[in-house]
Amino acid sequence: MHTVVIGSGIGGVTFAQELLKRDAQEKVSLLTYETHGYYSRPLLSHGFTRADIETKIVMRSFEALSEQGINIASGVEVMRLDAASATLVYREGDAEKTLAYDRLVLVTGSGALIPPPFVPQSDMFYVLNSLADLIRLRQLRAKIAAAGKTPRWAVVGGGLIGCELASDLSVAGDKVHLFHAMPRLMERQLVEEDSQALVVLLKESGISVTLDCAVNGFEVNSDSYAVVYDGGRSPDFDCVIVSCGFKPRIELAKQAGLAVGRGILVDDFLRTDKENIYALGDVAEFSDGKVYAYVTPIRNQAIWLAEFLAGNGSEAWMPPFFKPKAKVHGFEASYPYKF
Amino acid sequence: MADYKKYVCIICGHIYDEAEGDPDTGVKPGTRWEDVPSDWVCPECGAIKEDFEPA
Repeated sequence: MHTVVIGSGIGGVTFAQELLKRDAQEKVSLLTYETHGYYSRPLLSHGFTRADIETKIVMRSFEALSEQGINIASGVEVMRLDAASATLVYREGDAEKTLAYDRLVLVTGSGALIPPPFVPQSDMFYVLNSLADLIRLRQLRAKIAAAGKTPRWAVVGGGLIGCELASDLSVAGDKVHLFHAMPRLMERQLVEEDSQALVVLLKESGISVTLDCAVNGFEVNSDSYAVVYDGGRSPDFDCVIVSCGFKPRIELAKQAGLAVGRGILVDDFLRTDKENIYALGDVAEFSDGKVYAYVTPIRNQAIWLAEFLAGNGSEAWMPPFFKPKAKVHGFEASYPYKF
Repeated sequence: MADYKKYVCIICGHIYDEAEGDPDTGVKPGTRWEDVPSDWVCPECGAIKEDFEPA
């Protein structure tokens, strides 16, 4: 049998490895647009405070994964999926190739969510969603530092990623101004008391924080950026990073006619509504509307699905107990995170 | 006095310090890495022992 996996994040690679462990005869192929190897997404949040991050963040090269028996096609883009014929088409360089599967597992994860008003100004800001994004940001940062200046960052969006990012840049020695539309930081994960402790911690480390701030867009003048919001503007930034959430990559599934909501809809056995097609990780949305975007449940889903497809499991997947944690330097929540 | 070592989770960066152990999961301070149970997982991200490397 041929199982094809799309995506080389923790979900996709863990699933491929675990399936092969249970059935060494299975042919497992993995397609990914990534080119840097299998790397840790959580460590992107400490991408500025660790000098060796660009090498350390890669857990396994694609060559090493190939040696484990996974047929990897990297730097490719899956163009379309045909559920009826159980084939997909992907582009590799200039060539378009067709691949047939017996089972398909969609682990495409999510990209950065860009609020619609910002979309026309996409050339004015960065996001931090991938290692390629981190490398670009580190290069920009190095360029500013090489000119003898302290980088000044605007981080728009004070959710989990925005707070981690602001914290890491500040600890690395840069000037950071964090803008958030809501009255308190990380309001989706933290209770009020922990949001207060967080904002105190960030301010004490030199970060400027503006809450209740509806950012409308950006302006650029030479190499200096301004953040424009209801009631004013905040100028003189070297760079703007938008961290307003994540958006599951459902385009391929949607175009192929699979049922989608915010994510690709799956049942408790990680099945989509098309036969032999599964989804897991932060692209998958369960019937209760939940999307799991943390390593612990994602790894758990990947291992569960390997068991299930190897013929070993019969019970539905149940989310494990897990403790989400923001990687904000020096911050410990007093209460459990909401999820 | 033996020197305690540290191990780092390659997925999330969490550090297991032999001197501190992981009391929340019953691993006493001073527990050597070899003696940490094989089913112990990273308290931050759930990674297994094989996903740790010497810091």
